[in-house]
Amino acid sequence: MTRHAPAAGGRSLPLRRVVAAASAAVLMLGLAACSNSGGGGGDSEKKVALQLWDTDTRPDRTANLKALIAMFEKENPNITISYLGLPTDSYMQKLSTAIATKSTPDLVTPKASDVAALVAQNALAPLDDRLAGSSIAKKIDPNMLKSAKAAAPDDKLYLTPATALADAIYYRADWFQQAGLAKPATWDDFFSDASTLTDPSAGRFGYTIRGGAGFFSQFVQMVYPMAGVGTFFDSKGRSTLDSPAVVAATEKYVSLYGKDTAKSDLTADFKTMVAQFDNGGAAMLSHSIGSYPTHIAALKPSQVGVVGTFPADNGKTIVTGQMVTGFGMFKAGAHQDAAWKFLEFTMSKEGNSFWAQKSGYLPGNTDVAKESWVASNPAMTAALDTQKAKNATVLQQPYYLPQFSAITTTDLLPKWQKVLQGDESAKAFLTDAAKQLTAAQQDYLKRSKK
Amino acid sequence: MTVAVPRRRSSQGGLSPSPRGRQSPIARRTRLYPYLLIAPAVLLVLVFLVYPVASVFFYSLQHSNVTQPWNDGFAGVDNFTRMFGDPLFWQSLRFTLQWVLVEVALQFVFGLALALLLNRTFVGRGIARALTFSPWAVSGILTTTIWILIYNPATGIGRYLADLGIGEHGTSLLSGQGTTFLAVVIAELWKGVPFFAILILADLQSVPGELYEAADVDGAGPLRRFVSVTWPHIRQAVVLATLLRGVWEFNNVDLLYTLTGGGPANSTTTLPLYVAQTAIQSRDFGYGSALTVVAFLLLTFFSLLYLRLTKRGAES
Repeated sequence: MTRHAPAAGGRSLPLRRVVAAASAAVLMLGLAACSNSGGGGGDSEKKVALQLWDTDTRPDRTANLKALIAMFEKENPNITISYLGLPTDSYMQKLSTAIATKSTPDLVTPKASDVAALVAQNALAPLDDRLAGSSIAKKIDPNMLKSAKAAAPDDKLYLTPATALADAIYYRADWFQQAGLAKPATWDDFFSDASTLTDPSAGRFGYTIRGGAGFFSQFVQMVYPMAGVGTFFDSKGRSTLDSPAVVAATEKYVSLYGKDTAKSDLTADFKTMVAQFDNGGAAMLSHSIGSYPTHIAALKPSQVGVVGTFPADNGKTIVTGQMVTGFGMFKAGAHQDAAWKFLEFTMSKEGNSFWAQKSGYLPGNTDVAKESWVASNPAMTAALDTQKAKNATVLQQPYYLPQFSAITTTDLLPKWQKVLQGDESAKAFLTDAAKQLTAAQQDYLKRSKK
Repeated sequence: MTVAVPRRRSSQGGLSPSPRGRQSPIARRTRLYPYLLIAPAVLLVLVFLVYPVASVFFYSLQHSNVTQPWNDGFAGVDNFTRMFGDPLFWQSLRFTLQWVLVEVALQFVFGLALALLLNRTFVGRGIARALTFSPWAVSGILTTTIWILIYNPATGIGRYLADLGIGEHGTSLLSGQGTTFLAVVIAELWKGVPFFAILILADLQSVPGELYEAADVDGAGPLRRFVSVTWPHIRQAVVLATLLRGVWEFNNVDLLYTLTGGGPANSTTTLPLYVAQTAIQSRDFGYGSALTVVAFLLLTFFSLLYLRLTKRGAES
């Protein structure tokens, strides 16, 4: 075998060295290219195309989100975002399929109640470090940040605290005025006003109860503040759903069905309930502040009154419905830096102001919360006033439990309808619900060793 | 007896194996040709039928829930034994049986009546046929949307009836106690009756007119004419239509899911709808797969039983 001598003077380089040098050069170029792209997501210079899957396809929201994307793209000409709307009631199926087939998009708008399920599938990217390293961190409402982290089983941030919902009780101000009723201020007012304003022969009912899909959020919104119970689990991890105060409040709440509500409310979902209020079928509706723009679009603003909630007999004001509605990014996304840039934009003054105002949600950016439009939105001011009330306690729903969504939708919905129909007692329903949620909480505590 | 023995040809140009047992390339190609032709179809069946069915059988023996992956693993027959103590499984099975029997029976009766009517000659028969068959052309989701609007308590027929003093405001057949089943049956009949009518009418038109003339000569009344002439001709179409509709109604998910979601209080939950709730909404794929396996076996058993019974009836 012939060995090549070391290169020296004018002698030609041996072939092996030439190949080695060329290979090294190619490798260096490759590394340089990788470092340009940030190795795992650096997207500062090159053109990047992101995909965003939205999980709420109401037409007005879609238009607003597309406008938000356009604002971002204008500021970041090297990044484009393509929008895809998923059906609200089945988006998790699509996401689970995408996760299983490794075809997730870059960005998503998961509901807080589904974050735990997505984290369990190891799909979402944690955002704590990115937020900590961002100047936007100082501007984020700490309570909203806490709520966003509480949605995950590991207390990490997967959902940006861009905006948040809060619960409100809407009432037909014009009907109240015609009937000589003042704005409801107590739970007793609420029940007596519902009774006074019910006129079945005219197709008018005092209240619209949510008996169908999504019943649990309205149930919690009404029952826990009435009961004055501010926690979902006691110190031993037992659900408070079957506590005497919650049982009594539930019995009172259920008594509205069929008497001061339409019987068809047995299957009423969000759309049916809102349509009933907006079309003059119900005097009061409890829902989130997010539906205020819809009500004033269907009715005149002067016809729509709004209150937060009422204090319980024990003097406590229980604040419900504080659910963060933000954005998340998938771990498998190829352009993590660019995706984070968009998330940052949704929390920035410019992006957050536009998005929160158009959505009718509470802004996560503290500078935006001081803007004049917040004070001029009666639903927001009602929600904020409730939060500032004496003895106010925020009730956090256990979205971090992976079973929570399945329990409160598939399992409990048919039983709730039985309660409304009078086929099952409220106590039996709550005992069963408490048992399931306690088991889920105990499982969670055991796994997380808390 | 003379037996013709084919001449063995040489390996260079022949079709038969060479003396040493080797096949020529042409012979081999010729032998493989049919398999190559059916290979795409076999591949499609394997990928889109055998694999999914096999994977459902596999998952039925697993604990598999994407939201609780720490509990995943081999389950043995746990998912099947769980069904025995699951009241919703039995309730959905009972409702499925009720749904299939009522729907198929009513669709058959109304479909037959319509077909007999449309087989007669009358003015405007073409328009009547087109109108009768049009619901079959409407998509499932559109059908449910139409019926949701009809049953809507604020904008549907119930509201106008209540205005006239018939019934109450704020009620709907879809959410009334005991009326939900009637509401969904009516909606599905609207879509399903034309299917029976089309199939039976097609067969009715092939019945020779002379047979009816002969029956008239023999003094047969309408019932005798139907039993002795019409029925033997349409019998096979009825068997096919009832079997197909039976399977389809068993598997009906779109209409029930969209109209009632299986409610209220699970009163309209069929077994496939329960599968959808378990596997897709609760994301419990293990138990959902076990439910699917049971539904598959039940459907296969009843289909074979039905075919056997109808065959025996025809022979007798």
